[in-house]
Amino acid sequence: MKFKDYYEALGVERSATQDEIKQAYRKLARKYHPDVSKLADAEARFKDINEANEVLRDPEKRAAYDQMGSGMHAGQDFQPPPGWDAGFEFRGRGDEAGGMPPDFDASEFFEALFGRHARQAGGRARAGRQASGEDHHAKVLIDLEDAYRGARRSIGLRVPTVDAQGHVVLEERQLDVNIPKGIRAGQHLRLAGQGGPGLGGAPAGDLFLEIEFNPHPRFRVDGRDVYLDLPLAPWEAALGATVGVPTPEGQVQLTVPPGSAAGRKLRLKGKGIPGQTPGDLYAVLAIVQPPADTPRAREAYAAMAKAFEGFHPRT
Amino acid sequence: MKTAIESVLAGRVVEEEIHLTLVELCHVCNVPEDQVRHWVGEGVLEPLGEAPHEWRFAGAALRRTRVATRLTRDFELNPPGVALALDLLDEIESLRSHLRRLGGGGVR
Repeated sequence: MKFKDYYEALGVERSATQDEIKQAYRKLARKYHPDVSKLADAEARFKDINEANEVLRDPEKRAAYDQMGSGMHAGQDFQPPPGWDAGFEFRGRGDEAGGMPPDFDASEFFEALFGRHARQAGGRARAGRQASGEDHHAKVLIDLEDAYRGARRSIGLRVPTVDAQGHVVLEERQLDVNIPKGIRAGQHLRLAGQGGPGLGGAPAGDLFLEIEFNPHPRFRVDGRDVYLDLPLAPWEAALGATVGVPTPEGQVQLTVPPGSAAGRKLRLKGKGIPGQTPGDLYAVLAIVQPPADTPRAREAYAAMAKAFEGFHPRT
Repeated sequence: MKTAIESVLAGRVVEEEIHLTLVELCHVCNVPEDQVRHWVGEGVLEPLGEAPHEWRFAGAALRRTRVATRLTRDFELNPPGVALALDLLDEIESLRSHLRRLGGGGVR
């Protein structure tokens, strides 16, 4: 296990006050919160920041971490010494668990130090009444092509469950899920009965899968519509042409009308994400000008200049 | 750690096929009913129906409620703050979608 430097994660000195820690956390959270940030690594960064904050904002946990971590730095191999947490109070607090959010996703390092928090499992089991199971949430990344064709995805979930002795154990579940054709980014699939188990004979909760697309090197997706840039030679745009255009379903032929300007959008109706109301595919024209790097090419540009004597691009 | 293998599952697309009651929405998002009432009061969520027990939330409310829940927790926002943040996020999303339509790369 690698040691985690929580102070480094929040960018504060080890001597920082609680106020400074809170301020640093809030500032980083605003930058990396996955609901706010579009940075590619936002989710991972936010997880680190959040975990650092969980420890450093709590004076008990911070003191324990300081005592054990003095002289350590990030990435160093690390095993917590036995009994290192004696005298601190955060262990065995049961379902209170220091007020950690229910979907708090702790690292191995954090769990080795502070234990897995029991969440509501203990509290619910104690109540001894009927309660339907918790609904669970997970994110699934699929390719745009999967939305065109439908797909089967194998999803690994780590689910905390309560065993016969009332202990919370992590259960690894493997689910094979059919992703229906026509699904769009941001939509949710509900798998009935695949969430947490119900208590006292009550039904199990549901599992909600939020769909997200892997970034595509060629296509941009906006709702059910799909966009791609279509580069054209100047003469293709000016004179018109029939060109091959890639779509997520394969190549199609597209007629570019004469006199097409850069930025013009040509619509392929119904070639977006399929569905009752299928989306459209738009080819956004871009004009690529050939380099004037040979005498022949320069001649051609000179001849063009001559032919277009009356053409003034800045008027 | 145990491993269980199950057969292939098919789900329903929440946004297209499902409407949620107040109780269902709260259960799905693990959020107290009071909280959702406040958000409805601020216009964060716009269910059909008059009284809370008649409310029907469109499937798209699921994502909005989840975001509102996380923003409330992580930034200690009150309902008007959540409403403002969500409006601004909507505006950013519509600007991004405009950029996606224009092309030229760089925008996901």
